[in-house]
Amino acid sequence: MKVFLAALLFAAIAAVGVSLVLNTIQQPSSIAFTTGGARVGDPGNNLIGPS
Amino acid sequence: MPSSLSTLKVSIAGAPIVKALCAALALLFVLAHPAAAQLSFKPTAESVHEDQLLNALKEGDKITGRISIPDAMAASLIQPAGRDWRDFHRSKLPIIGGVAIIGMFALLAIFLMVRGRVRIREGFSGRKILRFASFERFTHWVTASCFIVLALSGLNISFGRILILPLFGPEAFATMSAYAKLAHDYLAFPFMLGLVIMLVIWIKDNVPGKLDLQWLKQGGGILFEGQHPPARRFNAGQKGIFWIVIIGGALMSVSGWFLLFPYLPGNVTALQVWTVIHAVIAMLFIAAMLAHIYIGTIGMEGAFDAMGTGEVDLNWAREHHSLWVQEEQAKGHAPSGSTPRPMPAE
Repeated sequence: MKVFLAALLFAAIAAVGVSLVLNTIQQPSSIAFTTGGARVGDPGNNLIGPS
Repeated sequence: MPSSLSTLKVSIAGAPIVKALCAALALLFVLAHPAAAQLSFKPTAESVHEDQLLNALKEGDKITGRISIPDAMAASLIQPAGRDWRDFHRSKLPIIGGVAIIGMFALLAIFLMVRGRVRIREGFSGRKILRFASFERFTHWVTASCFIVLALSGLNISFGRILILPLFGPEAFATMSAYAKLAHDYLAFPFMLGLVIMLVIWIKDNVPGKLDLQWLKQGGGILFEGQHPPARRFNAGQKGIFWIVIIGGALMSVSGWFLLFPYLPGNVTALQVWTVIHAVIAMLFIAAMLAHIYIGTIGMEGAFDAMGTGEVDLNWAREHHSLWVQEEQAKGHAPSGSTPRPMPAE
């Protein structure tokens, strides 16, 4: 049971760690795939960025 | 003059042959000069009907434009192959998945009814032998727990709209799906790590050999009552599961990597191919794992202990892995003797 719980804990920590790393090295699509001329001020309200 | 033009337009649009010719000419022009085609006509104009154009375009054809934003894929305006891909995801994939998964449940139910639970013929001996060390079980459970979440969150994409949305309503379903998608994306990484570790630690015991043919000929001693065929640490069935996990997991990982980073494949068509591979392998993978879970739990008496506590009953080990037990006894890692000690029934 300890091994099982340790495995669950490890999987959760690894997933959170990966999310932090990926979110650090990647840009939101509203920035990565637009130019300054096309970029909007509030992407969350314009359906092309994080809400 | 405007009214005469209007009359002319109506009469042209009303003649099927002329319409077809216009569409064909427009198609030829589009295929020859895709970028320029966008300047030559408007998709909503009467001379070009979008459905005719889409039907006329062959597989692999697409209409592209010129863009100035960094997203190169946005240059694809119309790609008829996308309809086939959408049709596959909405119609064919749920059928493939449904047949594979429900079919497997049905097979296992029939097998349980006909064969019953595979019992230890000599009963529990009360003596244990170490089957899997802590690190092996840890690796198994990391991979297995990730797989279960990946499978359920993946199935939600294919079946959630049909099965869960009507029960939970759109808002709850949307929230659940968003979190499921995040879990799917990030738990894929410990899953891939688990696959690599399992390959390293178990490949030496999973190389197919002549003994496996003998095991298969005798149905593994599981299909029919009687003498169990000899096996080393892993029998042919377990080796099959191992290679399904490794090869299926590798395909899922590669295709999933392209879905996580969709600009790696280079174009939309390649991305669609990878999504199809990911989805089909996933359905078959889930069906295979159902069989694995069945035989490791309710299907076979004493089997779960191998991944539960790590120790299995000596009689169980003798029946299913007789040669492995002899090897372990020779090394002094397992108790010797064959006298079974009756244990109370479960």
